[in-house]
Amino acid sequence: MFFWQDPQFGDKMITLMAALILVLQIMMVAQHWLVTIIRVFAVQSFLLACIAATIAYFNNAPHIYAAAALTLLLKAIILPVVLTRLLVKVDIRREVEPFINMPISIIISGMLTLMAYVVAESFQRPDELAGPASLGHNTLAVAISLFLIGFFMMTNRRKALTQVLALLSLENGIFLAAISLTYGMPLVVEIGIFFDLLIAILVLAILVYRIRATFDSTDVSRLSRLRG
Amino acid sequence: MILVALLLAPLLASGLTALLRGRRAMEAIHLVSAAAMFALSIQLAAQVLREGGVSWGDGFLHADYFSALVALLNAFVYLVSAPYAVGYFRRDAADNAFEQNGEGPPAEKKLLQYYALAPLFGFSMFLVVFANNLGVMWVAVEGTTLASIFLVTFYGRPTSLEAAWKYAMIGSVGLSMALFGTILTYYSAHQALGVETLSGLNWSTLVHSAAQFDKNVMRLAFILVLLGYGTKAGLAPMHTWKPDAYGEAPVPAAVLMAAAMLNCAIYALARFYVLTLRCLGPDFPSQLLILFGMLSMAVAVPFILVQRSYRRLLAYSSIDHAGIMVLGLGFGGALGALGMLLHMTFHSVTKPLLFFCAGNAQQHLGTDSLRKNSGGLIHSLPVSAPMFLLATLAVTGTPPFSLFQSEFTILRAGFAGRHTVPAILFVVFLVAIFCGFFFHVAQLVLGPANGLPRGEDSRWKSYPVLALAFVVIVLGFWLPAPLFALVEGAARVFEVQL
Repeated sequence: MFFWQDPQFGDKMITLMAALILVLQIMMVAQHWLVTIIRVFAVQSFLLACIAATIAYFNNAPHIYAAAALTLLLKAIILPVVLTRLLVKVDIRREVEPFINMPISIIISGMLTLMAYVVAESFQRPDELAGPASLGHNTLAVAISLFLIGFFMMTNRRKALTQVLALLSLENGIFLAAISLTYGMPLVVEIGIFFDLLIAILVLAILVYRIRATFDSTDVSRLSRLRG
Repeated sequence: MILVALLLAPLLASGLTALLRGRRAMEAIHLVSAAAMFALSIQLAAQVLREGGVSWGDGFLHADYFSALVALLNAFVYLVSAPYAVGYFRRDAADNAFEQNGEGPPAEKKLLQYYALAPLFGFSMFLVVFANNLGVMWVAVEGTTLASIFLVTFYGRPTSLEAAWKYAMIGSVGLSMALFGTILTYYSAHQALGVETLSGLNWSTLVHSAAQFDKNVMRLAFILVLLGYGTKAGLAPMHTWKPDAYGEAPVPAAVLMAAAMLNCAIYALARFYVLTLRCLGPDFPSQLLILFGMLSMAVAVPFILVQRSYRRLLAYSSIDHAGIMVLGLGFGGALGALGMLLHMTFHSVTKPLLFFCAGNAQQHLGTDSLRKNSGGLIHSLPVSAPMFLLATLAVTGTPPFSLFQSEFTILRAGFAGRHTVPAILFVVFLVAIFCGFFFHVAQLVLGPANGLPRGEDSRWKSYPVLALAFVVIVLGFWLPAPLFALVEGAARVFEVQL
């Protein structure tokens, strides 16, 4: 048996990649340049696809391969390209100062990660057998952290595009949870979710473009005329 | 087969609209497809009443009493909004309302936007209620958001963009929580049953084995789903998108959102509620639902009392009604579920009437402000203005209108379930909302003549109002037996067999 066929090796690889994904998420929180945020997101999605492929390999599950391929295609290639083009079109490069400054944001992200670990603790099943079937269960904490940090980033940023990216990274967290807990949803659901995601990004891109054209800015904190 | 037909009809309508593009053709397609969908959904309801349920494709699509009821209600809302949309947009075109600063797309292009998107919106709403798979149901709910975003931006004003952005962002975050909740539900079932197949997320499969789910996971799942679909239903504190979106969307689209889309969100929530009920017992989900229901009603009160715009007034009324439905669900028991379903039924009939009257008033006055108007609308709008008053009385739950009956049922469920404090607060909030709502509308409608020309401008806009008012009054005294059988059948879905 080669070393890469050993489930323990797979488990270590998955843990490593999950850790990297978390680091990338915190990098996004601390990043001003929009192009960099898009690239970080692309790398994060690539790692996510790798995790999915690893789990698929050890469990011999073709539908997870499909999910991995879809992630790679959509989130690591198509969406970054679409968003980069949009960036050029609306001609914005840098995020203005967020509501909470970067150092404090990073500390908050750290605390959210801690919280996620506490939440994920209650899902641990010590009696579970180690083996391909339990592969990736320890990434649930990372998934919840991605979700929480993405949520925080959405509320903290002012630019419409960064909010979209925060939303996407939040969805990455959900995908990681789906993959690590249940080995993905049934394929039809998986395809539906990706289709929705694609449409959502196109819709949001058009909206961002129109906000830029109308308000001469994509600073969403200026969208505050409707009250009461 | 009938389920597929109901899903194909709106898709076909949307496609044909995009192909033909003439104003007359688009209007005709819209009217015919709305009538066809309503006829099909009546046939579906009849079939469900006869056979107890309809399935297609190995249970991929499934309609029980609850689905058939919501489909029927949504088709009804779609049906009444169709002729109104024709009149409303014709008036808009005559007023040059599509243009910004003297320039803008030609009216035909704008009409295409509405007549092509509204059927897609309808399609996703039918898919929500027919999808047996909870994941597919989520996809469809997200679809309703996506189809309606460009209905909110319809007029292209800066404020419409703002409203659409809030709607898209709050909606997406909310729905991502619902997706997380769906995944956790799958996980908790997966652990117990080891279901790996396509049907593993099918509600009709899950509901029979819900008692064996992992309780810890299911608890978290329900919280997430409640937050998620609660956002979609506009429960406080996730309601902030609602007044903006309802106020900025053109009236026919706002009707679809306020009456039909709300039903879909409550429907999705109710499906998970049944699973949670069977897994964890009634206490845990009830407390949460009562909390959110009370909060929504409480939030609506001050905003209704000091409201400046009558379009936004309707949105707060919608938040209030979402709260009432959730409260009915939370009070539990056979009575609570029955009250919730009756309320959903009557609300779907009454809300469009209110929106149509408000739309007629807005197009007549050219503004939706409550402050700028001196009142006296009744002198210039002989049909819409009195009906506006009637709709206000109906929607605030005044007897003899039907919403009074459903609210009374929910109140009885509250006392029967020993939720005394929420039940008393429920009455207090209802009274406060009635006062605020009636005060504003009375000020707008009554009073000396305002000097505007007298007369309704189009039959397309006044006949739907009259027809709906007729239905609202009749429903106050007589609920057709088949419809009640459908509601009762739907209420049986919520029975707990522990």
